[in-house]
Amino acid sequence: MGSPPVVQVQNLSVLRDGLLAVDGVSFALARETDTALVGPNGAGKSTLVAALLGLLPRSGGSVRILGQELGPAGELPRSVRSQIAYLPQTLALQGRFPLTVSEFVGFGFDLPGLNLAWLGGGSRGRRQAIQQALQRTGCGDLGVRLLSELSGGQLKRVLLAFCVVRPRRLLVLDEAQAGLDVPSTEQFHQLLLELRRQEGWTVLQVSHDLEMVRRSCDQVLCLNRRLRCSGSPDHALSPERLLELYGPNVVPYRHQHNHAGAQRP
Amino acid sequence: MTDLTAIRSVLAEPFMQRALLGGLLTGGLGGLLGSFAVLRQLSFFSDALGHSALLGISLGILLGINPTLVLIPFAVLFALLVNQLVSRSGLPADALLNIVYSTSLAFAVVALSLVETYRGGIQQLLFGDILGISWQDLAVIAVLLVAAIAYLALSLRAQVLLTLNSDLAGAFGVGASRHHLAFIVLLAVVVAVSIKAVGVLLISAFVVIPACAGRLLSRRFSVYSLVSAGLGGGCALLGLLGSGLTNLPSGPCVVIVQFAGFLLALMVSQMSRRPTATAEPAEHRIPGAGPAAPGSR
Repeated sequence: MGSPPVVQVQNLSVLRDGLLAVDGVSFALARETDTALVGPNGAGKSTLVAALLGLLPRSGGSVRILGQELGPAGELPRSVRSQIAYLPQTLALQGRFPLTVSEFVGFGFDLPGLNLAWLGGGSRGRRQAIQQALQRTGCGDLGVRLLSELSGGQLKRVLLAFCVVRPRRLLVLDEAQAGLDVPSTEQFHQLLLELRRQEGWTVLQVSHDLEMVRRSCDQVLCLNRRLRCSGSPDHALSPERLLELYGPNVVPYRHQHNHAGAQRP
Repeated sequence: MTDLTAIRSVLAEPFMQRALLGGLLTGGLGGLLGSFAVLRQLSFFSDALGHSALLGISLGILLGINPTLVLIPFAVLFALLVNQLVSRSGLPADALLNIVYSTSLAFAVVALSLVETYRGGIQQLLFGDILGISWQDLAVIAVLLVAAIAYLALSLRAQVLLTLNSDLAGAFGVGASRHHLAFIVLLAVVVAVSIKAVGVLLISAFVVIPACAGRLLSRRFSVYSLVSAGLGGGCALLGLLGSGLTNLPSGPCVVIVQFAGFLLALMVSQMSRRPTATAEPAEHRIPGAGPAAPGSR
């Protein structure tokens, strides 16, 4: 018998601005798997993620994370909440934001609740954890830089350092690669893959990059207010399913050949 | 020597000692709260609160209740109502705040015009009367400063994450709406308590100017909040001293010194700004974003 799922969603419904944005969705995330949540704009992907994390109230259904029922107002025991990491699309870093990369990553190490763990840079263990997290994400030389000075690619890696600075079980990404160019997206996914294996993360990622989803995810959830289909990438991203999900304007493209050893003409 | 004697005689006056202490505490409190308010784009909110305070004072006078007693509950209630309006109306916050503060100002002036005894005192309300600050007022401000330092220090992680992204904060265990409300209430109380010293028109300067100067001078968040508070308190001291020596109005003198401090901070930050130390490899850049430069995002 396998281990219980990290996330179990049953018949989840969410009202947003008076409309049913997510309608009766059920799925499970098995331990240490990578699941993609795909669907057209306005399909309710971010709403589902927000409800799953307890950031939005549910109008129906239930969510269990690491065996604990999510409360009506998003309550989870602190021991479970500290096992969850989340990567948003953007941070509000308008203008010069006085926060260094090390300080920010340190807040990822600290537990929720009122405390003075940050005072003077924190304990030796905290400082070491920050340094290791920065090293592991290729941000070793960015510690003293301001968060607002970083490029998009650097910021995403720092966000991963924020997640990896403390052991966690579940990582949720909401279009985390949005705004990155092709090489930065590739680099980000390589890093994510590596960290996922090392940390044993269970990953749920909202993505529009179907090629990446096909290559690296174990399970795909196709959402358009309701769960239209789910399963392996080959099953869920078949041309027929994509046609059903996105309509006739989407032409599925499959990048099949291998670049290794390729020569320029 | 004459100047030193003049300073000594100014400092010897008990009302001036109270005013200087009041300026130090109020300025420090404004700078501390401002360091968070500015980053959360709540500086206009503090301005609107300041203008609404005039309405609270007017209502107190009209009803025959001590305005100071009315002001704090009025400001808190007003802040919570405006916060609800901003989150529920779907209108841009700055437009809504503009409507609220100009309307409350209009009602306040009409209310004051109905009270014969207060016609001459409107300038004190607008620009403050820090020289009239009492020991009781000082005690309230000191308690508030200690409470603000304790709350902001203990919840620094929550405050920073909330400023960066409320979903990020919530996912990492921060009670986002609880902390947002607590901060709004704290800001309202600080504005209400500082009105007597600073005045309705100048209160937003106490919140915004030291924080902006601090932002130019600091890289670490904790240092930034301390620098902002220090600049707020220091500028208030210098401004009041200048006011005492020149017999110019105290509130405006403080704001002028704050502005001078801001210009100085701007110059220092421009001079110390170096080109980005580590040039970013081309493969990390977002197309069209150009080189990563301070404040470029």
